[in-house]
Amino acid sequence: MDFATLLQLLINGLVLGVIYALIAIGLALIFGVIEIVNFAHGELYMLGAVAAYFLTMNLGIGFWASIALVTIGAFGVGIVLYELLLAPLAGQGFERSILLTLGLSMVLQNGAMFLLTSTPRLETTPYSYRFLVLGDARVPLLRLFALILALVAFGAVYVTLHHTRTGKAMRGVAQNRAAALMVGIDPRAAARLAVAIGVGLSGLAGAALAPVYSVHPVMGFAFVFKAFAVIIIGGLGNILGAAISAVSLGIVESIAGGFLPPAFVDAIAFIAMILILLLRPQGLFGRGVRV
Amino acid sequence: MSARAGHILAGAGALAVLATLPLWGGTPYGLELGITAATFTVLSTGLNLVYGYTGLLSFAQVAFFGIGGYTSALLSHDAGWPVFAGALVGGVLALLLGLVIGYTSLRLSRHAFAIVSLSFALLCLIISRDWVSLTRGPMGVPGLIAPTLQLPGLGRIGFDRPAVFYWLMLSYAVLVVAATHRLVRSRIGRAFIAIKLNQPLAESQGIDPLRHRLLAIGVSALTSGIAGGFYVFHLTIVDPSIFDFYYTETMLIMVIVGGPGSFWGVVVASLAFTAIPDMLRFSHDLRMVLYGAILIGAMLAFPRGVGGWAAQRRLVRLRRPILA
Amino acid sequence: MTEGSTRPLFALQGLTKRYSGVVAVDDLSFSIPEGAIVGLIGPNGSGKSTTIDCISGFQVPDGGRWFLGDAELTGRKPHEHATRGIARTFQTVRAFDEMSLTDNLLTAAQAHDGLGWSAALQGGRGLRDAEAKATVRAEELLDTIGLTEHAQAPAGTLSYGQRKLLAIAAAMMARPKLVVLDEPVAGVNPTMIRRIEAVIRRLNEAGMALLIVEHNVEFIMALCATVIVMAQGRKVAEGSPRRIREDPQVLAAYLGADTEAHDDE
Repeated sequence: MDFATLLQLLINGLVLGVIYALIAIGLALIFGVIEIVNFAHGELYMLGAVAAYFLTMNLGIGFWASIALVTIGAFGVGIVLYELLLAPLAGQGFERSILLTLGLSMVLQNGAMFLLTSTPRLETTPYSYRFLVLGDARVPLLRLFALILALVAFGAVYVTLHHTRTGKAMRGVAQNRAAALMVGIDPRAAARLAVAIGVGLSGLAGAALAPVYSVHPVMGFAFVFKAFAVIIIGGLGNILGAAISAVSLGIVESIAGGFLPPAFVDAIAFIAMILILLLRPQGLFGRGVRV
Repeated sequence: MSARAGHILAGAGALAVLATLPLWGGTPYGLELGITAATFTVLSTGLNLVYGYTGLLSFAQVAFFGIGGYTSALLSHDAGWPVFAGALVGGVLALLLGLVIGYTSLRLSRHAFAIVSLSFALLCLIISRDWVSLTRGPMGVPGLIAPTLQLPGLGRIGFDRPAVFYWLMLSYAVLVVAATHRLVRSRIGRAFIAIKLNQPLAESQGIDPLRHRLLAIGVSALTSGIAGGFYVFHLTIVDPSIFDFYYTETMLIMVIVGGPGSFWGVVVASLAFTAIPDMLRFSHDLRMVLYGAILIGAMLAFPRGVGGWAAQRRLVRLRRPILA
Repeated sequence: MTEGSTRPLFALQGLTKRYSGVVAVDDLSFSIPEGAIVGLIGPNGSGKSTTIDCISGFQVPDGGRWFLGDAELTGRKPHEHATRGIARTFQTVRAFDEMSLTDNLLTAAQAHDGLGWSAALQGGRGLRDAEAKATVRAEELLDTIGLTEHAQAPAGTLSYGQRKLLAIAAAMMARPKLVVLDEPVAGVNPTMIRRIEAVIRRLNEAGMALLIVEHNVEFIMALCATVIVMAQGRKVAEGSPRRIREDPQVLAAYLGADTEAHDDE
């Protein structure tokens, strides 16, 4: 394998990994703060992509504006989702929360299937099919934008967790629930913000990727299951662990794709997860929200 | 004693109705429903054993089903094995894999088990689709024909006849239901429930949660795997759709509505949820939307199913006079 | 344990447990003779709960060894502690709420009669005998705790104090060598406290040793021959109730602090 090919695979892997991270960080944050595994996360990502598609293709709204609108909308959906469905569970029953969000995922996915059919759609933008040339490697502009947007989003999450009151409260709740309650943290505000940020990130991912991958009702399915593997590998509820694992997975998959058949590439995440569980069950980076 | 006699009578009656289905409802459509109902009864009884009794949410049941299906199809189609031996090997393979994922994830937590079982099911789907040299990829293994056997005293029996295949699946389902019933009504079942209700208390009394949960996973993997090993000979093909998430969602609806841990509730729900949707003639997508809505509603209002809700009501009624 | 001396029933040596740098239990050693009732007291956060969680297998300590008779239990899982003879109750009272009282007690005994899965499934004489014996034992214990009339009611229908009694009875079901009671009378009214005290005495007379963690100092002083006082993860005193009352270190470390505390550690 020559250097240019390797560089190309590395760049593709980095972009892919950062996108995994967008999904996985949201999942890890929600799990860390309210101990809920959100099964509808992939469908919320799908909804973001569908919304961005219709905003640009049917309403003529620009690419960047559609991303901003969808991200804000997803943030709002997160708040509604928390208040309407997740808050009533109030920490009682991990399995119950899975089944509830699975039900939501069934409604969203099959509802989308009924309304939109399973036909794949591709959002076209002024940046489609344009590349940034780096030596011998070519980076599609849209993927580069997705990468930059994701990095900006990570920065925003970092600032929120470290420099806002509710953000600090979220870290507190995730690290030690009992202690957080004792020092007067409002767990509900922390939980609401965690879900809003998690859903907001998946909406952002959907909107940014609508012109990159085809938009269809089951687009979130495989994606989100890899994100589940990623959060186990990174340590359940550990955000930084999830991010590092996600980016590593993207790069490893991309490079492995250069010489392995696709079945093995898709299996890497699951095999890694099983190995981690056998060798280091608390995950590579341990439990707790550490950013 | 009379209540027990009543139950036995009701059970015998129901069994007689089911066994004579080919005589009163022997249309291809009726038999198709019957075979599907028997298969789902095995699957959801297995899920009920793992989730309803030991409290582990498992998404791996469909994987056990599919592994059994692929194993028996490949052994019979490529290696010329008898169907029944292939299905048995499929069940045993599912059992072994079930023990592996159970052991690795349960050392961490039951949360990890839920996620690992899900990933395992997805991994099976990916392998069946992409490992073409082993599984034939998306095209699957077509042309599976159920055998014709020379059975002592019965003559030549063609299992490719829908009515005979229905009797096969019904007998298997009755066997699995009876064996599982025996298990959950034994004191092993009491230990399962104890672990689900209060794991630390059960542990403090000497009950090993890991060992019991592995038993439940293993039994359900074996029964589901064998069911898959038979079922693909009804489909006449095995392809990656045997791992479809649809099976998982349907099993879950049957267990949740029937009531996790409510043995006969889940059996009845399995029959009802096979029969009703086909009468309603919904579009498949809308049916799954409805199932999803039922799941959300059940989790918000009746987290323990209709059966569990009734038990809770009973507890509340009993509590009043004691406190008064 | 050292040369020549008769072994105590239970011995703990050098137990140490840290939580992210904070030492919860610091090099704690004590022993419990056959048939004794030993009290373990101390202010909140002194490490009592951590100690009993470790010696029943529910937490893994950073250091220390413990023995029941000749058998070392260090590093064993919770259910292995139980089957080898250490039973325990919990501070937040636990019961199988949806099972009847009788079933609660039968469940508590079933891991101890040495019958495997095949015996449990096949039925047969061994199983019938074991279950019949356990049923008799359950009836005796229900009588001891005065809940016979509720034998078939689900445990979830009991009052808080009754649940505490049920938990003690369940811990006694399999005739353990040592029973660890975690706050058996916290949050219980005075009448029920006397009842629980009487139950504990009767069980002790039947030969069981007990280790009791309690905030209710009077309860401990009345019941125990030996009292161990912990503060900040260390043992600050050990002796008869009388000596403990007069120990200036105990007064400083504990009795002056908060004797009325009932909240969770």
